[in-house]
Amino acid sequence: MKLRDFFSTEAIKLDLEAETKDDALKELVACFGLDEKSDGILFKMLKRRENLGSTGIGRGIAIPHCRSLVVTRLRIAFGRKISGLDFKAIDEKPARYVFLIVAPPLEVSNQYLPVLGKIAQFSKEADVPDALAALSNPQELIELLESKGI
Amino acid sequence: MHPQLELLLEIQDLQMQRGGLADGTLGDMESDVFDIKVEDAISSLDEKVLELEGRLEEGVRKRYQLVTGKGPRVVAPVINGICYGCFVAISTARASETGRNRRVESCDHCGRFLYHLD
Ligand SMILES: [Zn+2]
Repeated sequence: MKLRDFFSTEAIKLDLEAETKDDALKELVACFGLDEKSDGILFKMLKRRENLGSTGIGRGIAIPHCRSLVVTRLRIAFGRKISGLDFKAIDEKPARYVFLIVAPPLEVSNQYLPVLGKIAQFSKEADVPDALAALSNPQELIELLESKGI
Repeated sequence: MHPQLELLLEIQDLQMQRGGLADGTLGDMESDVFDIKVEDAISSLDEKVLELEGRLEEGVRKRYQLVTGKGPRVVAPVINGICYGCFVAISTARASETGRNRRVESCDHCGRFLYHLD
């Protein structure tokens, strides 16, 4: 399993328009090309997860995630906001890099937790925030993941 | 989408999340990576599920109670005419109906509410 298999370049936004956490979640959910109702349900579920505790894990990285029946397979979107978003992160710093992960309730190969774990592990690497800041096109994110072997 | 079906989907998604927290699979990750207090999260989800269940209409609630007695999954996706709750094909007449998800319907075989994804 390689993380790049779950990314499509349309779901990589290097300049999020959103100025708030909620709008960023909506903007990233919209990348999946679902219908409006499904977008609304996903957003609500992501918000409910955030209400349990922020997914901002520090160092400018947030990993909002949820399972929902409205998606048929695991999807990941990435958004970057260099000026930062208030994610109420653990270290109280604004989130600049957002990995959004959604998966159906039951998947044949059960990839949700391993994917969540891999993104978390990737996010902890010392040089990752700077590397994410330096991306100049979506393809470079895929290459960055490949260079880290995940 | 029928508002009651939307409500059922929400309940189902929250219950899946609760299940993952309670059985430790998701719980360990949430606590290690995201610093979530799992017990608090579970009680908060339980409260929310109760609140949403209170908004189910009488007829839907009765069926919901029947289905929840059989297991945690109350809504089954329908993909290519197959109910993914019991893996039995739903009737071809029903599969070809238009305006799916605008009504609350359930599987003739397993009784789960149906959510058409195809
Ligand atoms: Zn069925």
